Amino acid sequence: MNLEPVVQNLVFGLFVGGLYGIAAVGLSLVFGVMKVLNVAHGALVMLGGYASFWIFTWYGIDPFAAILITAPLLFLLGFALHVGLFRFVTRLGEEAKIKNSLLISFGLTLVLENLAIKLWTADERAITTGYAGEGVTLAGVIFPYTRMGAFAVAVLAIALLHFFLNRSYAGKAIRATAEDWEAASLMGINVQRTYVVAFAIGTALAGVAGALVGVAYTIAPSIGLAWTLKALVVVVLAGMGSIVGAFGAGILLGEAEALSVYVFGSSYREVVGLVLFLLVLLLRPQGLFGRR
Amino acid sequence: MLRAAMAPTGLALQRTRQLATAAVVAGFILAALLLPQFTQRRDVINLFFLMYLYITLAQSWNILAGYGGQINLGHAAFFGIGALTTRTLWTEQDFPFAAALLAGGAASVLFALVVGIPTFRLRGVYFAIGTLAMAEALRLTIANLLPNITSLPGPVIARYDLEPRYYLALALALCTAVTVYLLPRTRLSLGILAVREDEEAAQALGVNPLVHKLIALALSSFFAGLAGGVFAYYHVSYYSSFAFSPNWTFDAVLASFVGGIGTLAGPIVGGSFFILVRERLAVSLVDVHQIIFGVLFIVVVLTLPGGLVEASSRLRSAVRRLLHHALNV
Amino acid sequence: MLKIDDIYVAYDDLQALWGVSLEVEAGEIVVLIGPNGAGKSTLMRAIAGLQPPSRGRILLDGATIHQLPAHSVVERGVVLIPEGRRLFGGMTVLENLQLGAYATKARDVHVETLRRVFEIFPILEERRGQAAGTLSGGQQQMLAIGRALMGLPRLLLLDEPSLGLAPLVVRDIFEVLREINKDGVTLLLAEQNARMALGVAQRAYILEQGRVAGQGTGQEMLQSDHIRRAYLGQLGPIEEAKP
Repeated sequence: MNLEPVVQNLVFGLFVGGLYGIAAVGLSLVFGVMKVLNVAHGALVMLGGYASFWIFTWYGIDPFAAILITAPLLFLLGFALHVGLFRFVTRLGEEAKIKNSLLISFGLTLVLENLAIKLWTADERAITTGYAGEGVTLAGVIFPYTRMGAFAVAVLAIALLHFFLNRSYAGKAIRATAEDWEAASLMGINVQRTYVVAFAIGTALAGVAGALVGVAYTIAPSIGLAWTLKALVVVVLAGMGSIVGAFGAGILLGEAEALSVYVFGSSYREVVGLVLFLLVLLLRPQGLFGRR
Repeated sequence: MLRAAMAPTGLALQRTRQLATAAVVAGFILAALLLPQFTQRRDVINLFFLMYLYITLAQSWNILAGYGGQINLGHAAFFGIGALTTRTLWTEQDFPFAAALLAGGAASVLFALVVGIPTFRLRGVYFAIGTLAMAEALRLTIANLLPNITSLPGPVIARYDLEPRYYLALALALCTAVTVYLLPRTRLSLGILAVREDEEAAQALGVNPLVHKLIALALSSFFAGLAGGVFAYYHVSYYSSFAFSPNWTFDAVLASFVGGIGTLAGPIVGGSFFILVRERLAVSLVDVHQIIFGVLFIVVVLTLPGGLVEASSRLRSAVRRLLHHALNV
Repeated sequence: MLKIDDIYVAYDDLQALWGVSLEVEAGEIVVLIGPNGAGKSTLMRAIAGLQPPSRGRILLDGATIHQLPAHSVVERGVVLIPEGRRLFGGMTVLENLQLGAYATKARDVHVETLRRVFEIFPILEERRGQAAGTLSGGQQQMLAIGRALMGLPRLLLLDEPSLGLAPLVVRDIFEVLREINKDGVTLLLAEQNARMALGVAQRAYILEQGRVAGQGTGQEMLQSDHIRRAYLGQLGPIEEAKP
């Protein structure tokens, strides 16, 4: 039996899974820390992609290198969004907070997507670097440079996040706030400032994801909703608040999709993810790796 | 004379207000009924058709959200199923339209109940994103199974008349409004409201939350399905999956919130306002209406949960107080 | 050192404290006793900055602190160990302790402070890599106190430290508290276990239904009939409770 197409599919599934993971981690972080469900996360990924695209188009900077610019840029955007908008939701009780953040971020998605259409038209954009389309071939299986690079960056980013959350005082403060914000404030932790930082980091991570999407796929204003759903699927699979588990769940989703393409054909790829999502929601709401 | 008119007794004042409201409403309905007689302009009739359609869309979503307390982000599925069923039965199976329309509504309800029972186990936010995922999964499946454009058959296009479609949409909007009006006035709906306020307390009082939620769901999906059927009757040709697009959900959500969630007038105000802004702006600035509504929506959620209806009633009482002060000085 | 001046605190729509006034001198151990729901926790939370009073003032060394957010109150040297301890169960013992020293002044010397905390509670050093949620009740209380000490408190607030603990463990805990006090930390405890608390305290206040119903020295309280009936469950003379 010819294993090559299967392995090829699995390899692609791994790479796209890494992308799903990095796209989801930001959402998971924000929800875990302040119980805010930001469904505009996908729109932020989209903005990250556009930032990366324009930096490449205007200044010729390689998108991977440009992450050093796009990540801080989106960090600032996240800061502004929290201070200008989401801050008003964090004062509410938990249930109201989740519901209102869902609604507000929903409005935000519409605004951001349509602003993008106005500014940059609805056309699809792709970042075509010099090495796009090239890759390494091992045993008949192709490993494209762009996707490998994207996967590597995703892994690196998540490793950095993990390191930050576990080794730095600020990171531990974020984890403590996520567990019990009142107790955290009793430690001398400025909870409001922690929220801002966490939200800004989440947005920066979305920006990184967007840059990688721009390299490996295409950017258009409409991808916002699709990536939000993807991120939500991964977050639910991993279990809300399980930050690094989101990466594992992303890989899982990527591989599940890859296998399903093999069985059902590529047109049902997205449906598989959504059905999986619904099944997990109904049968194991705490997710595959979640605690609560 | 003005002084005396400013100080009538409480009950008489309330009755006057009720009569005034009834008169205004009757006036509007009369005007709506007579509109096609006074103008032959297709674009005007079309505009009002869309307004009635979107009012129904928003009103039907509002039944579940405002009265049932559940944010359903998969509303487009009900609309789409209604549209698909009606279109197929009417154009391909030669059903009489009325039967096809009702079948569309029924199919929608059936789907809602089948999916609703397991999904209602999900709490608040999970229900919202679960329904969103479900609707998207359905849309993608339909897009795969029915990738082609569905067009009205030649003879139908030849004798296409906007007027009956106008009256149909108006009738549907009125039916939906009447249902929503009666909703808080029946014992059944008191149960629904109780569940929305405090599920556990309602249960302790003997109200079965699930039954009431399902009834709200059934009504919501029925009217959304009918709206879809009317859309199938109206729109000449479109991709079958278009009727399942999440925009139908989002428009309903926007219109309901901006107008005033949980009220009767809210979706009416919101839906009309939405269409007016959209059609007016579509001429000059493409898609800006989404941005405007998005911002309005955020403002409403943050500061004015009652939407425009609340804003207008606050405005009215502020004006009243101002007049009172001015006349009593 | 701490002066609470006629404060009124409301929880949602319920008034919890009505014109409460009390004082704590530096170096003292003061105890709040009273039934469940009397408002002891509310008072502690108000001092810590979690529940601002609607009326009245809270003063620390003469400066008002009742409008400060909780994290600023910690910076002033007032640390609360809340009811139920509220440890970060998913984080390790060491991480919990480190977080206790988050405030700037404490963080600079946290390595040194950690060493001292391990001296007081050797069991914490032993289990420093363990998740806090897996410790026993007594160990959790030790961790909570250790974590609070990491913040270099001048005034330590304890809300029901004996809650859910076995009597022997409670005795050990109170022994530690005595030691901490001897080192110069002022203590304010809210306790349901009146007997144990009154044996350790110099002074006590009785809180009933959101109001101060009485005050006195620890010995006076132990001798009072009312107290014995209401909180110690007996009539007649009793010996000093020496933990």
